[in-house]
Parts: sequence; C-alpha cells; structure tokens
Amino acid sequence: MAGNELRNQIRRLRFDNGEMTQQQLADRVGVTRQTIIAIEGGKYAPSLPLAFRIARVFNVTIEQVFHYEAG
Amino acid sequence: MNRSQKISLTLVITFSLGLFLGITAIVMRRSGVGVWKIALAFAVAIAGSGGIISLVFFRKDKDAITHDERDEQIWKNAHLAGFGAVYLYVILMSFLPIGILGEEASIPVTWCPGLLIGAGFSQVFAQSLAILIQYGWGGKDGGK
Repeated sequence: MAGNELRNQIRRLRFDNGEMTQQQLADRVGVTRQTIIAIEGGKYAPSLPLAFRIARVFNVTIEQVFHYEAG
Repeated sequence: MNRSQKISLTLVITFSLGLFLGITAIVMRRSGVGVWKIALAFAVAIAGSGGIISLVFFRKDKDAITHDERDEQIWKNAHLAGFGAVYLYVILMSFLPIGILGEEASIPVTWCPGLLIGAGFSQVFAQSLAILIQYGWGGKDGGK
C-alpha cells in the first residue's frame, strides 16, 4: 500500500511545537483527530493540499514533514 | 469511534441478528415447528431497527469537524463495496431458483419485491461492513 511508503515527522514536530495535541493539529488543518492518528501511524497518505496545510502549521517545508521511501 | 462507525456497527449487528432470525423462520416453516410468522416478524423488526436507532442516537455534532477527505474516501470505497454486493446478490438470486427448482419450475410473484428488499439490505450491510473494515474496527486509528 502507498500509505506504508510515506514516512512522516508529525509526532516529533508536534512535540517540538509546544507539545501540540493531535486534536489541536486536527483543528488547525481542518480534519478529524482520527485522520491525524492515521497519518501519524502511516496508515493513511494525505492529499497534497492537506500535506501542505500540515507543513504550514509547523512552518516547515513539506519534505521536512513527509518523505517517500521507495521500496 | 466516530458517527459513521457507530451507525455501521449498529447496522451490521441488527442486520446479522435479523438474518439469523430470518433463516430460523425459514427453517421453522420448512420443518413445521413453532410459529414461523412471529420469528419472521421479529427478524424484519430487528433488521429495520438499525436505521431507527442510528437516527435517534447518533445525531450529527454541528460544531465539530465531523468528516474530512479520509472519511470521504472511506465512504466512496464503501459505496463501491455496497454496489458490488448488490450486483452479486441480484446475480445469485436470479439464478438460484433455476439451480434449486429447475428450469421448468415456477416461482411466486412475491419473489421480485423480496429480491428488491433483499438487495437494499445487502447493500447497506456490505457498505457498513466496508466502513468498519476500513476504519480498522474502531482500533488504533479509529478510537476517539
């Protein structure tokens, strides 16, 4: 599955940004907490607009949040 | 568990119970044991109660974000699963009488509306099951 190849740094970035909770991040990017949990766990690959919104919340580039591992 | 998971779980449970009671009613009728009409009425009532329970107990939360792109993707896949289930059901129910009764036999006219109602139930059942499977049965990424 494509979701397994997409790694992310969301958990680390949340803690680096004042221990932001999953709910706070979800509210800021306009999704449910379930979706943040699924993305963090690598079970769901977000759409490009959502990936950009997440990166924008942490003030980093999209590559600093997500990276693709070709397998 | 989110709203659609709760609704799906309710529908899967009530439909499964309804199906079990329906089969029991058919067995009772065939074997001439007990009052099969009461069992059948219970089966229909239980199967139909899922929708009513969902409408009464699982209402939309107006303030919170209730769904997003992931939910929409899950619902889209669930609709496809429901469509596939109906397709298979109609094929099965169209050819089953030939297989069981033979080509020369006749079936009652009530078979057609029964087939239609059954198609509706199988669509909702498959859709609910697909939703639960995709959310992971309320597990790690399904919890609230």
